[in-house]
This record gives sequence, C-alpha cells and structure tokens, in this order.
Amino acid sequence: MRILLSRIRENFLGSKLDVILSITGALFIYFILSTLISFILNSDWTLILVNRKLMLTGLMPEEEIWRAWTIFSLTTILMTTSIAFWFKINIKSSIFYILLLLIPLLIFTTKNTLLYVLFIMILSIVFFYLGYRSKNSELKNIVSRIIMISWIILLPICFLILNILDGPKMTLWGGFMINLILAAIAIFAGFPLGILLALGRASSYKLIKLISTLYIEVIRGAPLVAWLLLAWFVLPKFLPNLFGLSDLNIVVRAMIVLSLFASAYIAEVIRGGLQSIPKGQEEASFALGMNSISNTIFIVLPQAIRIVIPTIVSTFIAIFKDTSLVFILAITDLLRIGRLIPEQQQAFFGKSIESLAVVALLFWVVSLVLSQISRTIEKKLNI
Amino acid sequence: MKNKVSKKKISVEAIGVTKSFGDFQALKGITANIYEGEVVVVFGPSGSGKSTFIRTINGLEEHNSGEITVNGIPLNDDVKNRDAIRGQVGMVFQQFNLFPHLSVLRNITLAPQKVKKLSKSESEKLAMSLLERVGIPEQAKKYPAQLSGGQQQRVAIARALAMQPKIMLFDEPTSALDPEMIKEVLDVMIELAQSGMTMICVTHEMGFAREVADRFLFFDEGLIVEEGTPEHFFNNPKEERTKLFLSQIL
Repeated sequence: MRILLSRIRENFLGSKLDVILSITGALFIYFILSTLISFILNSDWTLILVNRKLMLTGLMPEEEIWRAWTIFSLTTILMTTSIAFWFKINIKSSIFYILLLLIPLLIFTTKNTLLYVLFIMILSIVFFYLGYRSKNSELKNIVSRIIMISWIILLPICFLILNILDGPKMTLWGGFMINLILAAIAIFAGFPLGILLALGRASSYKLIKLISTLYIEVIRGAPLVAWLLLAWFVLPKFLPNLFGLSDLNIVVRAMIVLSLFASAYIAEVIRGGLQSIPKGQEEASFALGMNSISNTIFIVLPQAIRIVIPTIVSTFIAIFKDTSLVFILAITDLLRIGRLIPEQQQAFFGKSIESLAVVALLFWVVSLVLSQISRTIEKKLNI
Repeated sequence: MKNKVSKKKISVEAIGVTKSFGDFQALKGITANIYEGEVVVVFGPSGSGKSTFIRTINGLEEHNSGEITVNGIPLNDDVKNRDAIRGQVGMVFQQFNLFPHLSVLRNITLAPQKVKKLSKSESEKLAMSLLERVGIPEQAKKYPAQLSGGQQQRVAIARALAMQPKIMLFDEPTSALDPEMIKEVLDVMIELAQSGMTMICVTHEMGFAREVADRFLFFDEGLIVEEGTPEHFFNNPKEERTKLFLSQIL
C-alpha cells in the first residue's frame, strides 16, 4: 500500500506541472466515462433486442437463418483451431479475446439462440484443445495443411451454404453478414490480383507495366462511391448482353467493384515491399541458376509480403469499413439498417445514437480482431 | 594444387571483355584464361573492375563486348547458355546474400529442388553433408539472422556447392566479416582449393592467397596490369603500380 502511494506520488504528483496534468487528465477521464456510463444505463436497449436479427442478417427470411448460423460456427471453429495451433497464447491476449467475444455475445444472445451459442462454444473449445495438442505432435504437418486448406475453401463453402437447397435470393442478404461477406470477397480476390498488379508494375515488359500502372492509377483516381454508382447505372449500358452480364445482380456487382478497388490499393502496398528487397537477393538466386519466376515466387514475394503485413492489414481494415458504402446501392448492410431503424420503426423514432452505437461497436470489434491478428503474425515473424 | 597447371583444360576463357556503367568504363578489355583446377586470386584497388570481372563470368553483369566462354559454352544473348553456365558456376558474395526468410537447410536445398529437380530427401541429405563439410551441421534448423557472420558465409558457400558447380567465384568473401571470423571462412576455402575446385577469388587476404593460389591477377583501372605466380608477386613484381599497391596492403 505504501509502495503504491509512493508510486502515485512519483508518477502523478512529482512537480507542479504533473499535478496540473494529472488533475486535468482525471477530470477528462471522469467526464468521458460518466457520460458513457450514464448513456448506457439510461438508454432503452430494447431497440437491439427487437432488431437483433435485422442487424445481423438483414432481410433474410427466418427459416433461412440456419445458414448464417452454420457459417458462423464453421468460421469460429476454424479460427479457434488456428489460434490454438499457430499462435502462442498468453493470459493477456486471451482475456482480450474473451472480452471481445463477450461484448457482441451479450448484446445478441437470447434464450432462443442460447443453445446454438453454447453448442458453438463447446465445439470451439474442443477444437481449440485438439489444435493445441496437435501443435507438438507428429501430426503437426498434416494438421497445418488441413487448417490452411480449410481457410482457402472456407469462402466457397460459405457460398455453397448460402445457396444450397434453394437458398434465399442474394439481394436478401444483408446486415452485418453482408459486410463480412463483401469484405472477405474483396480481400480474397483483391489480394492475389494485387500481387499480380504489383509484379506487373515492377515488370521489365513495357506493355505489362503500362497496363498495370494505368489500372492502378485509374482505380485509385476516383472514390469508391463513384465506382459503385458507375457499376450500378453506367455499366449495364456498356456491357454486351452476353452471359447475362448486363443484368448481374447488385450484390455481385458490389463484390466485383470492391475486389477491383481493393486490388489497386493492395498492389501499391506490395510494390513498396518489392522495392525494399535488396538486389543481392535476386543476384544470389540467379547465381544459383534459378529463373526469374522461381526467384519471384520463392525469394522476393515472401519477403516483400512479410515486410508489408502491417500496412496490408490496415488496408484490409479500410476495405472492411468501406463495405458500409454499399448502402448507396440499396443493399441493406449494417450501417443502412442502423440508420433505417430509428427512421422507420415507430417505437424507436429518434433513437439514432443507440442504433449507431451498436453498429460502430460491431465494426470496431472486427477491426480490432484483425489488427490483433496482424500484430501476432508480426511478432511471430520477428519483423 | 600449386603448380599443377601445365597443359590443362581451359575452364574460363575471357577475350577482350569490356563493361561500362553509363560513362564509367569498369572493364577496358580483359583477356584471361582460367584453367581447370586452378585457384586464381584477383586483387587490386577498389574500382579497378575486379568484382565486375567475376560478375560477368556468370552473367550477373552483361558484358558489352568481347567473348566469355565457360567450359566450352559461350556466354551470349542465348538465355539457355547463360542458365547452363550458371548451373556450373557457384558464387559467394561479400554480403552473404542468404535468404533471410528461409532456414539454413532450406537456403541450401531450395535451388537443387527447383533447378535440378532433386527430391526433398535427396537435397536434404546433400545439404547436411555440405553443412558437415563447412563445419556447422548443428545450425541447420536456424535462420540466417541467428548465425554469426562467419557461419553465414559458410552457409553461403555450402549453398553454392549444393548445385555441384565446377567453378566457384568468390567476391570478397571475408570483407564484411569481423576479424575473428575470417579464419573460419578461409579454412573452408582452403579445404575447397585442396579438393581441386577451380576457384576465382577476389580477395585481399594475402596470407590465404599465398597459401593456395596458383596465379595472381592484379587489376587496375579496368585492366589486368600484371599476372603471375605468388612468388613472382611477393619477390619481384615488375610494374610500379603493383609495387605501390602491394606495399600498401602488406
């Protein structure tokens, strides 16, 4: 106790300036916290209780919700297994993750879904344990490969689950689910495309270089909103009416635009990484008789991507948040729903702050998880 | 190894090789023959073109004019020839240039697997025997950044040897090393020379050169100023520039 007091005296009350700063800081923190807490306590959160399903899955019919649950369980289980298998767990980060999961869980779990949630939690724990066990066993390589492949096929499988057995129309997809799906597609399609573009821009073939540069500069030259509107209104008039191209549904168009947009930004990030690889690396692999394709695949690219992981992840986070712009295509994503509820539901007229606070919280949780993953990877790779 | 050079097959033949970087002419017409099994030490002041010369031999620098022939294969615009030559010529760099994202073992096995299509187990067996040869088999699982400079350079030598080259090029292999680590690298190079490898070394380690070299080439301003046996250089060098340079480094 005495130590604590002397610590406080040293660190917060050392000089006159310290005293002033400490008091101002304390007042500031008190002001923020008290406002926040009184807001949370005094607000009427039935808005969320009523609109839980709407916020998470949009207009998807009730009888199709099992699809969302299946996807959610698959992703959760895969994630916990990977974390257990690949990453060192320490107490601090586990507390962080648990808190992170608890917040949305507390907001969105009801009696009806409790069984689901418990089921997923138990499965996750089982898989977590299995992943942790196999980390040090002979099966290590096989398990690692299975996890890798699972991540790659996760997205196609999600699509299958959404469409199998006469699934709901794509335009009925919505809520937070559509944000996550759009972000996942944009990242998974934009990343390889971005790598190709970066390599193209660094290529010694003039034509390829010109095309890549042109593509990147054109895409980056206009805001995402403009591209989305272009895809909605203008594109159908220019595209030939082959393979039903001109009446592609709006969600697919959003996916394409987001992927193309993401690829241009990712390409520039990776190009920065490519330029930072010393010339000696290339010389060494050429001197060993490797051709420029092997050199790129095995020597230059892996190093370049490692270097730019922090920047790439912040690009991913930006893309994820950009998906909320699809509201201008009349897709009912989370942000749009968050704005519609206080406008259209009589019981909650004018409750914008409550509604938007939840929207923000959900975006924040996912972004935080992404950045935490990036930090863990960085630590693991010793960057 | 010393004085074994009589009537041997020519490994590297260079005739009138020139190379310019912009306005700067690094090589002004180099003519030299390197014989099979010979250890040639190339030295000279910095900027004299010695590094550039050995880098033209495996095509890391394209020469502007003149002819280079390696084991009978002419080095020209034909990519196939260039790749064939690179398959026979190993190179060790001043800055090691190990691949930092790969383990020591993977550094060595990558090229044999990708270029020579060796299987994983074959290439790993080869790699371990080479690590044994350079004296650090226990470091196989580590990453380059975890090794000392001397160990890294020995891995680089093992990596080059894994392609089973007929000729080894050394581009100032000990210049980036702390003094106490130079010997461990030179020991590996001496062992290599004694095993009969054809070697072209750019180095200023005169003790090493005196011990293993069959012939010296002294470069200055893009030309070979003087060549001869180590005895010739240490006892009575002809050219003034050679005398001056030797007096500075010895």
